[in-house]
Amino acid sequence: MQGLVIRGRIWKFGDSIDNGNIDGVMEGVDPEFKNKVAPGDILVAGKFFGMGASDEHAPRSLKQAGIAAVVADSVSNIYQRTLINIGLPAMECPGITSIVQEGDEIEIDFTSGEVRNLRNGQSRNGDRLPGLALDVLQQGGLIPYLKGEFTRKKTPVRG
Amino acid sequence: MGMTITEKIIARAVGKEQVKVGDFVQANVDKLYIKDLRFSKKEDARGLYGVLLEVLQSMGTDRVWDAKKIITNLDEQPARTERRTEGQEMARKFTREQGSILYEGEEGGIGHNVIVEHGHVKPGEFIVGADSHTCTYGALGAFATGIGFTETVGVLATGKIWLKVPLAIRFELRGRPGPCVVGKDIVLWIAGKIGYEGAINRTLEYTGAGIDVLSIESRLTLCNMAVEMIAVNAIIPPDDRTVSYMREVSDGHFKLYQSDADAEYEQSHVVDLSRIDPQVAAPEYPSNAHPVGDFRGLKIHQGFIGTCTNGRIEDLRMAAEILRGRKVRPGVRLIITPASFMAYGLAEKEGLMEIFRQANATVTSSECGLCVRPSLAAGEVCISSGNRNYRGRMGPKESSVFLSNAATVAASTVTGEITDPREFL
Repeated sequence: MQGLVIRGRIWKFGDSIDNGNIDGVMEGVDPEFKNKVAPGDILVAGKFFGMGASDEHAPRSLKQAGIAAVVADSVSNIYQRTLINIGLPAMECPGITSIVQEGDEIEIDFTSGEVRNLRNGQSRNGDRLPGLALDVLQQGGLIPYLKGEFTRKKTPVRG
Repeated sequence: MGMTITEKIIARAVGKEQVKVGDFVQANVDKLYIKDLRFSKKEDARGLYGVLLEVLQSMGTDRVWDAKKIITNLDEQPARTERRTEGQEMARKFTREQGSILYEGEEGGIGHNVIVEHGHVKPGEFIVGADSHTCTYGALGAFATGIGFTETVGVLATGKIWLKVPLAIRFELRGRPGPCVVGKDIVLWIAGKIGYEGAINRTLEYTGAGIDVLSIESRLTLCNMAVEMIAVNAIIPPDDRTVSYMREVSDGHFKLYQSDADAEYEQSHVVDLSRIDPQVAAPEYPSNAHPVGDFRGLKIHQGFIGTCTNGRIEDLRMAAEILRGRKVRPGVRLIITPASFMAYGLAEKEGLMEIFRQANATVTSSECGLCVRPSLAAGEVCISSGNRNYRGRMGPKESSVFLSNAATVAASTVTGEITDPREFL
């Protein structure tokens, strides 16, 4: 396990964005977003990010658009697991939306749980991801992680 | 510090004495449920089985972690879309090659009902399912939560899942529910109280003397709709009724867990069941719940009784009691879809089907049915015994869905407007 720190420009979204609105790179909230977002950008959202159905089509669209990380005041449990499992770092960080404005650059330390706004120096503490989740992210998601695990360790993943 | 029943089950699945709220843990799964649609190529062009076989190959095997713990069900019978036929074909192939369990045809219905009725859900188990309403199984004292596509592949390959131990909210139920008040009304009332996101990433625990009087069916409804409050899981600590139900449907081997007296809850609420009226949730959230009387006179075009929430025998009996000797109002349609063929057969034996026929209701074969398939035209209104009333859930976005118990649906189709079923008793 190594540390995971991501730095990038943010796009800020509101509360209660459900799976249906996330589909098609946030199409339900901002149809133009997919043309504005650049690889490496970070998505910041308010409370209850990823409510509703568990269909993976929507979170995969964020990953395909090159979004480097998701941070929200709160994230539905299944959504946070899904994002990490498809290789997109996601953190629940209460209060994050209160310290950032659209376009700010932030730095997220997934090991310590600290999120820092590089423009104004303010910070908030969120989830510290466990070693397993960091390992999964390091490998690009659960599928590549599982594929690599056997070869790396030469021991069964099961048991 | 004591533990809640959810924490105890997670700790057992993790192989530890104790877990704490907020811990990220890796748990060993006791059962995995997969619905047919998850086998389609919608979420990944290789399909669930295709991705799984790649993973298994890299692990030097072609076998899943434990075929006897995997249950698949065909939720739509017959399949009506190419996605569904694709999913069902792969579900059958997977079952054949891996030796897992599949329900379809006369043994089937809606997966969540079928696996409960066949005794696959046991108290104390750690269960995950590739469908958001997997939380239903908590009614029998199990931990159960929904998982996504990639996680399903992970569980199939390793039998493990990682998750964060959730905060707990306790609802202590007291008193006795009045006539025509069942699990659906209680859970809608609770959703109305705490709001759509009221249980986000929490476990919901229902306890108290009020639970004693609730049927297993009502308990399943209480837990089924926990995901409508974005809970991780919902759970009812097992009691005598749970144990006698489990002896009926399973081999009787299971472990009972109870919450400790000093377990920690983020919130505790008391609910007096005797003060709850039959509830109706207006569009577009299940938490938009109010007493049925608030909607008096609201015109409807369709009633629907079915789904994993309220298509069980208790619901069919309640509907039949209202419909006995009455008819669905001309110009209004009532569609009844028993949640499983077991419930269908029982309804037939009890003469309920004859009552539905006499009332001019349409009875369909057992499946998820209209809950996930358009049946409304623009401007039409449906009152449904299901769980979701989001915009466009049952038709174009100009159609709307109200949620209630099965008796309220039946009564409303007799009058053509939302009606308090107690007026018909």
